[in-house]
Amino acid sequence: MDAIKSVLRRPEAGSILSLVGVVLFFVLFGGASLGTLVGAASWVNFAANLGIVAIPVGLLMIAGELDISIGALIPAGSMTTAILTGYYGLPISVGIAGALAVGVAVGLVNGLLTIRTSVPSLIITLATLVAMQGVVLSASVLLTGNASVALTAPDWAKFLFGQLIGGSHQVIIVWWIAFAAVIGFALHKTRYGNWLFAMGGDKVSARNAGIPTNRMTIALFVLSAVSATFVGICQAILFNSAQVSGGMSFIFNAIVSVVVGGVLLTGGFGSVVGIFVGTITFAIVSQGIYFTQIDRNWSNLIIGVMLLLAVLMNQSFRDLALYFRPRRGRDLPREPANP
Amino acid sequence: MAHPVTSTLTPAPNRTRSRLALGRLARRPESGSFLGLVAVLLFFGLFGGSAFMSAAGTASWLNIASEIGIIALPIGLLMIAGELDISVGAVIPAASLTAAIVSGHYGLPDWLGITAALGLGLAVGLLNGLFVTRTTIPSLIITIGTMFLTMGLTLGLTVKIAGSTGVSLVPDPLTKAILGDYLGGMFQVTILWWVVFVIGLFWLLHISPMGNWIYALGGDKESARNVGIPTKRLTIGLFMLSGFSAAFVGVSEVMVYQSAQVLAGQSFIFNSIMCVVIGGVLLTGGFGSIVGIVFGTITFSIVNQGIYFTSMDPNIGSVIIGALLLIAVLTNDTFRQLALSYSSKKGGPS
Repeated sequence: MDAIKSVLRRPEAGSILSLVGVVLFFVLFGGASLGTLVGAASWVNFAANLGIVAIPVGLLMIAGELDISIGALIPAGSMTTAILTGYYGLPISVGIAGALAVGVAVGLVNGLLTIRTSVPSLIITLATLVAMQGVVLSASVLLTGNASVALTAPDWAKFLFGQLIGGSHQVIIVWWIAFAAVIGFALHKTRYGNWLFAMGGDKVSARNAGIPTNRMTIALFVLSAVSATFVGICQAILFNSAQVSGGMSFIFNAIVSVVVGGVLLTGGFGSVVGIFVGTITFAIVSQGIYFTQIDRNWSNLIIGVMLLLAVLMNQSFRDLALYFRPRRGRDLPREPANP
Repeated sequence: MAHPVTSTLTPAPNRTRSRLALGRLARRPESGSFLGLVAVLLFFGLFGGSAFMSAAGTASWLNIASEIGIIALPIGLLMIAGELDISVGAVIPAASLTAAIVSGHYGLPDWLGITAALGLGLAVGLLNGLFVTRTTIPSLIITIGTMFLTMGLTLGLTVKIAGSTGVSLVPDPLTKAILGDYLGGMFQVTILWWVVFVIGLFWLLHISPMGNWIYALGGDKESARNVGIPTKRLTIGLFMLSGFSAAFVGVSEVMVYQSAQVLAGQSFIFNSIMCVVIGGVLLTGGFGSIVGIVFGTITFSIVNQGIYFTSMDPNIGSVIIGALLLIAVLTNDTFRQLALSYSSKKGGPS
């Protein structure tokens, strides 16, 4: 009983339940075969692209911030690579470096504005989202006269960023798993992780305890912007071309994955495993539905219901975690007693 | 929070009056958005030429402004109360399709379709409000959930009932005249409805006692409840208002264009938030005004449409809106500090 309770108190408990629920639903009611579903590349590719963005977005949410500018940075990353390499013929390394530099720059703007003003990061990143959309569109039209640019990547770049493993699985899946492992280690095993949770719990106390909250916030925004441009780079190299549109759907999809993964928007609670599982769950609902007999038009309905159930569950799990005290008799009060 | 319209400051001594009047003006929530509007008008008046200033040019941005404006007003009230509503992006097409399916596909009277569509908006708003007041989950997440829910239901049911993702509706002449007509051949009648919404909500926020409740809610919810404000009912009411307004825009769109599409309305989510922020409302709550939101909506629409009258690349419009938004939030921040640091003279902290 206690073992079950301690599992339920972990932030990823809800997301694992959601994943099991969705897969069971698809197998039992949708007539999908479990083998086909697991072997399918479509949802794994989708999850990897989304997951690389969802992890830093989740970290920001743990720290109590939001970043929606990622929606413009994915096309910004792929267009920068394509314009530098494909249009101007520079080496691919310059194109990649340029795209990552765009990410660093936008992340710095987001981070600096967030710490220097009292404006919520949602609004700040909304502004950089719209501004970057305009910059990418007009730069692409002004420089190349076109809204889509082709590029050819050399073999080594293709191998690293745009390969199809076994002809179907994008190499970005490997990047996603590696990224999740590194961030998971940093969040749960190093002091930076504790700093992050402290910031989301209570920023003022965190700063008073000596945590460099401002530098942490800037670093998190840079990380999420760079991750978004990285996804853009991989897409450009994989498809040998870049379009100015696309990426907007990532905004809500990433937030939903993170929330289904057990992170609270109010900050201070969450885990990388949870975000990882949440992303897989989201990807299975939106892509795995093709393998069932369920009309795919219902996938958004499932996502909506799942999100609302997840937030309700997360809330009860979090209450469990917060009210946990080393057992001393069975009839503990459900709520802390008022002094 | 200083009440922007009915503020009753004690008259200042003569020698400081002009300085104070200027300071008081700068502290009003709409002053920043007014400056933005003037700048944008001057800019496009100069570069857009006579085509932009003509009736057709005015209609192009006024039509856009009226649709966003009707949604931006309740979104602004919610933001003043410290909440967000993303689900409007799904309620607009859901309402359009409800009206089109009831009145177009099934051929029932128009008023029945309109009632069903508006009822749907109220229902989504009620759901949002109940979730927000019953849990501690931020309204951003809850309304993202109801947005996906509404989108999924709209798409699934439309395809099931009508067999396609678009449904057409030919309104009868009376409905068309009230909701979907063009005045003078170019001005949508929605503009008049926007004016009605502006007057109604101006009364609600700045004249009726409920306005002070909304400001109090955004300033400090706990204290607001302690002084006896029915915060839960007020929050639910505000979400129902935004659901209703989104549904109203959906209904008038289907009456104007005579057809409804499943994939429409997404752009309204961020556009309406931008109008509200450019209009001087703080997302953190407790500060803003109806006049400011109207200025913000007009500014946004002029940039959005006016750019086509200039020789510039239309995509520059997004850059201008992004820059405007950044300037707006930074100046709003400053104006708010001014407003908060104001202590009725006597050499308070500057």
